[in-house]
Amino acid sequence: MKLEIGRIYIKDIQLGQETSVKEGVLTVDKEGLIAKLKEDERIKDVSLDVAKPGEKVRIIPVKDVIEPRVKIEGGNNGFPGVTSKQAQCGEGKTNVLYGAAVVTVGDVVGFQEGVIDMWGEGAKWTPFSKTYNLTVDISVVDGLTPHAHEETVRIAGLKAAEFVGLAGKDVTPDEVITYEMGSIFEETAKYPNLPKVLYAEMMITQGLLHDTYIYGVNAQTILPALLHPNEELDNAVISGNCVAACDKITTYQHQNNSVIEDLYAQHGKEINFLGCIMVPEHTTLAGKLRVSDYVLKLAKMLGADAVVISEEGYGNPDSDLLMICKKCEKAGIITQLITDECAGRDGMSQPLADTAQEAVAVVSGGNVSHVVTLPPADKIIGNAAAIAVLAGGWDGALLEDGTLMCELNAVIGSTSEIGFHNVTCRLY
Amino acid sequence: MKSIIITNNPAVREKYRNVLFIDGSVEDTLIKVRDMVYQGYELVSHPLAASIRMMYSPYRSVILGRQEAKVDFLYAEIIEDSIIKYKRHTSHRKKDVTNSDDYQMIDLILLEAALSEQQITW
Repeated sequence: MKLEIGRIYIKDIQLGQETSVKEGVLTVDKEGLIAKLKEDERIKDVSLDVAKPGEKVRIIPVKDVIEPRVKIEGGNNGFPGVTSKQAQCGEGKTNVLYGAAVVTVGDVVGFQEGVIDMWGEGAKWTPFSKTYNLTVDISVVDGLTPHAHEETVRIAGLKAAEFVGLAGKDVTPDEVITYEMGSIFEETAKYPNLPKVLYAEMMITQGLLHDTYIYGVNAQTILPALLHPNEELDNAVISGNCVAACDKITTYQHQNNSVIEDLYAQHGKEINFLGCIMVPEHTTLAGKLRVSDYVLKLAKMLGADAVVISEEGYGNPDSDLLMICKKCEKAGIITQLITDECAGRDGMSQPLADTAQEAVAVVSGGNVSHVVTLPPADKIIGNAAAIAVLAGGWDGALLEDGTLMCELNAVIGSTSEIGFHNVTCRLY
Repeated sequence: MKSIIITNNPAVREKYRNVLFIDGSVEDTLIKVRDMVYQGYELVSHPLAASIRMMYSPYRSVILGRQEAKVDFLYAEIIEDSIIKYKRHTSHRKKDVTNSDDYQMIDLILLEAALSEQQITW
């Protein structure tokens, strides 16, 4: 499978009367996009805005972040199985508006958090303070069920990304990156002495606001499934998870999965990258046992020497993470885990809800309980009431001048468990 | 399969019959689950949710299964660790009462997802 991602560098964004990219400036046809989104009769109002790096703007509550793209060759444009007809993702050519993002806003429930600060202290913690953001704030008609409400906002975000992405159709990319990998047999014949490494990507799949979709299929209903890495890099995986702000994998992060990028970079050098197993996180223990058995079985069938496992969320998914780790290690398959920590404000407490002595190679994406201080913004995009939810965490969290203190937990993408974020480790 | 829902969520009590309602906090609910696990009940659903924000929910529902003659130590470990984690994350926080209705609704929906998963599992 061969995929060419053409990056068109975006250096600015504005609303206007046409959708285009000229000399790196992305213009979005405001009325055209609103009309397009309002084709969904469940949508009452659409409010579009832009947020640029450095502006004293706070976006809250963020539902999802999506990278605008357009398919140039192969497959179907958009998100096959969702906004367009089913087609194979991961082949052909895709142009990306690199540096731009569609950010959906709109609270399905009152306790949603998810903040992006475009400036200052808050900007340090979220990767989406560096993107030129088109914010899409959706309000829905009365009487929708919570499920229909969530779906409406999710689909609107994807459609907006598709609409904006079309601006890159006839633009020559500034950079082209090729992702190519043959069958497992071909790659193993090429690199017979390299260790065979699988990537098991866990996804929150537990019900409303806690879901992930693959080609539009709710992953709550699947057994762990083998994906070619190119598929995820080419719009096959969509986030419907909007509660775990700090460690949710946004659609943007699926489209640019850092683990896949890094494994690809080492493919043929240090390792033989076999592919991705998409692993649903269930709420029942039976589900967790089944999934961990299944991942081990797939790893054995594919002859994996090692599995890199990334988690999504915190709490009950810790059990799945460690079950997969234990079972693989006992079968002689080396594991390496990527998670984040809930280690208390001082970082000194046990980081996960579960432990295993087999888990000896663990990468942390950061401590979600770390407290950050966010000064007041000049402009709020979204719902200012959501700030009260953040500020209401504990006595003294809101200062007189409007400065608020919150845990990293509330900041979008701050402790990414696939490594797509700003936090890093330093030896000292 | 015979199961029982331990919950402090009034919306769950209204909708289901096989409920042991706890007129108290999430912590009280988890402690009741722990006590029943030590009486041999199977832990069907995990006591914790999948995100920190849901940890702040004032409502929680956990599904227990059959009562066996012996205590299953995997279940005991999971519920004990869950209680420790729950206390650590919530002890310094105020209760979010403003969004009680939404928390009740999401707890119910997540419970129903677990129940439907259970149907195809057992």
